[in-house]
Amino acid sequence: MSKIEKALSRAKRDNSLALVPVAKRSGDQQSGLAEPVTQPASGTGAMVEARSQAISGGEISSMREVARRSHSELADHQIIYPEMIDSETVQAFRELRTRILQKTNNRNGTIMITSVAGYGGSTFVTLNLGAVFAFDAGRTALLVDCNLRNPSFQRLFSGSPARGLTDYLENPDMDATEIIHSVGIERLRVIPAGEQHLVPTEYFTSPRMKMLFASLRQRYNERFVILDTPPMTESADTQILAELADYILVVVPYGKVTQAQVDECLQSVDAKKLLGVVFNNEPRAPNTLWMEAISGAVGLVQQSFRRARDSARRRFAQLAGRLRKRSGRAEP
Amino acid sequence: MNVLADPRIRILVNELLQYRRAVVALFVAINLAAVLVAFYWPKGYTASTTILVNEKSIIQPLMQGAAVATQVTDRARNAQEVINGRKVMNQVIEAAGWATPDTPASQKEQIINSLIARTKVSNVSGATNLISIQFRDANAERAYRTTKTLADVFIKESIAAKAAESQAAFDFIDQQTQAYHEKLSGMEDRLKDFQIANLDARPGSEGDITTRINALQTRIDQSEQDLREAQVKKKSLESQLSGEAAVASAISREGQYRQRIADLTNQLETLRLSYHDTYPDIVRLRHQIADLNDEIAADKKRREEAKTAGRIVVDDAVINNPMYQQLRHDQSQVQITIDTLNARIAEARQQLKSVVEQGKRVHGGEATLAELTRDYQVTRDIYQDLLRRRENARVSMNMDKENQGLTFTIQEPATLPTQPGILKFWHFIVLGILLGIAAPIALGYALLQIDPRLRSPALIAERHRLPVLVSVPHLWSKGEILAAGRDLEWLGLAAVGTICVMICIAGLQVLGVF
Repeated sequence: MSKIEKALSRAKRDNSLALVPVAKRSGDQQSGLAEPVTQPASGTGAMVEARSQAISGGEISSMREVARRSHSELADHQIIYPEMIDSETVQAFRELRTRILQKTNNRNGTIMITSVAGYGGSTFVTLNLGAVFAFDAGRTALLVDCNLRNPSFQRLFSGSPARGLTDYLENPDMDATEIIHSVGIERLRVIPAGEQHLVPTEYFTSPRMKMLFASLRQRYNERFVILDTPPMTESADTQILAELADYILVVVPYGKVTQAQVDECLQSVDAKKLLGVVFNNEPRAPNTLWMEAISGAVGLVQQSFRRARDSARRRFAQLAGRLRKRSGRAEP
Repeated sequence: MNVLADPRIRILVNELLQYRRAVVALFVAINLAAVLVAFYWPKGYTASTTILVNEKSIIQPLMQGAAVATQVTDRARNAQEVINGRKVMNQVIEAAGWATPDTPASQKEQIINSLIARTKVSNVSGATNLISIQFRDANAERAYRTTKTLADVFIKESIAAKAAESQAAFDFIDQQTQAYHEKLSGMEDRLKDFQIANLDARPGSEGDITTRINALQTRIDQSEQDLREAQVKKKSLESQLSGEAAVASAISREGQYRQRIADLTNQLETLRLSYHDTYPDIVRLRHQIADLNDEIAADKKRREEAKTAGRIVVDDAVINNPMYQQLRHDQSQVQITIDTLNARIAEARQQLKSVVEQGKRVHGGEATLAELTRDYQVTRDIYQDLLRRRENARVSMNMDKENQGLTFTIQEPATLPTQPGILKFWHFIVLGILLGIAAPIALGYALLQIDPRLRSPALIAERHRLPVLVSVPHLWSKGEILAAGRDLEWLGLAAVGTICVMICIAGLQVLGVF
């Protein structure tokens, strides 16, 4: 049985893996350059990338995609898209992409994203950095959820947990393609944390893990593998993953951590791999907010004025009616 | 110029936006408090008067050094103390019509406390000798009356207090002067009595006695030296006398015989070396020696017989020794000298003892005399000083009686106030609005200064020399924008509404509606 067949049968069996709807299933079924996909039971479920021998950037266009998520869905998941009204955040991630490409000399690689403290926004940065890389039709990004204690990519999938990294590490027969999922964003792939939650740290140092990363790197020339990891100072996993990564990006959340915490985190990061710091979640009010508030207030005033006017008219009409009645009675 | 370009201002705006509800709540609360304060702020008329404290009077230079002018460093505080005193206040409340003599004490106390709280005494800026008394009251006429009374009573009391103080000072000094006069008289009597009792206790006596003691001591030392010499001389004479015989004996008859026998025996021994015993010279010598022995024996026998018969046998050869006689004479002379010296030393010692006793007596007397004299001099000096001070105090007292010392002049009399206090109703309204805007900003700024959490990426870049690749703003979802917009809409209306209400209240108050 070929790997493609194996993947298809597994996808059929796993009918709970409900992802975003498939757009062009029939057209994706070509072998050779196209990657095989696991079929969701509903027919609109997840599409899993099959192994690809393709290396050139032109092969990205042949990646099989599920139906694209709507803008509102992406906004609900706090994922940016090019047409987003709130252009400041999109602009910031575009700038981040440019800075990373400058620092890496346009070479792809594995970027580990860690936060100074828990809930510091490393997942948000990972998702959106992946999304912004995927804006470019010539690039692709693969996001790996390495935060096994607090996995967060699962929210991108509906239904039961999607197979992911821990399943791959637990199951030696499993192929890497079985854990790579499309999430309805073009050129963006995701490896969730998986169903197993009690994977020992030693798995990260295993040859299988190294093999997985090597294969992920070689899959596409223009692909950035982005790892979402727990805070550096809170988990030993992050230190191990830092060795597997080519670059490290530290997320400093606005107004949540002190200088001492940043010091501690940066001291434990390999300075050679450190790309820089992303200052996240600065509470800048978008221009639309002010517009919304002003227009709302004006509307409220107008509405109140209108109500008052209508009420006055009604009363005036009632008064006029009464007067007419009185005058009508008086005349005969 | 975009003020948000400054990161500190941008952070402050962000934080205020984040805590927008609290900011508006604080704004409304402050405005409400301002309205309440404005309503309950006691309205009142303030009357004031200025008193000039004249400490440089014309008479002062004339009395320089003789009279002491009152030194006041903080006149306003002193005046405050005087005015707040019950003595002044009791007069003021009755004089200004706040109370009558029949008013109960507890009510008077309340009135006094109320007056103290509304009275302000201060130095006029730039002039330490100008005291300003201000009094605030809802009734302009009463404010004027009370201020005027306060000033009058204060001046009257201050002058009276000063005069009383001068009188008290004079009385005290006068009392002290009299006490010292009595003390000085006593000292003089004691000194006189002592001098009569101790005539030799006069200045210089101690020196004479010391000289005499020294002379006597020298005499004793000299006599003892002479005595020691005489004793040495006596010992020497005695030793010489012991070696000398009382009589000198010439060569006696028996001695002459024995000397002759010895000579003959020598000759005999010489001859016997050369000759036999039968040699005639030897025989002859033997006979001669035998004859001489017989003569000696006969002489002895004669002396024995004389002794037995009790007769004195005078040897023909005995004579008196002249050396012995001379030594005995010298010994006698030395003994006389020793006796004389011993007598002299004893007498000198006796004299010395007597002089020492006298010295002791004189020394004690002199110490007592010095003490008495010293006490007398000190008492006399103090008495003289007190006399001078008493005259100064008398002059000061007279100056105060004649109002020539510290004087108080009403520089600016109290006038009837026509305008109520400085703070008006609309002042509070404006202050409330301004404070309502400033307080949240100040509070937010203070919290940002205290909170150590990072809010600026520049700090990381500076500290670690690390590139901050990007500062990602919060990704506002549509729902968030809508909710925040609705929030801002209501909060903005609340703030604007508050300001409008405040302005309306101020306008109504100005129009005299309430």
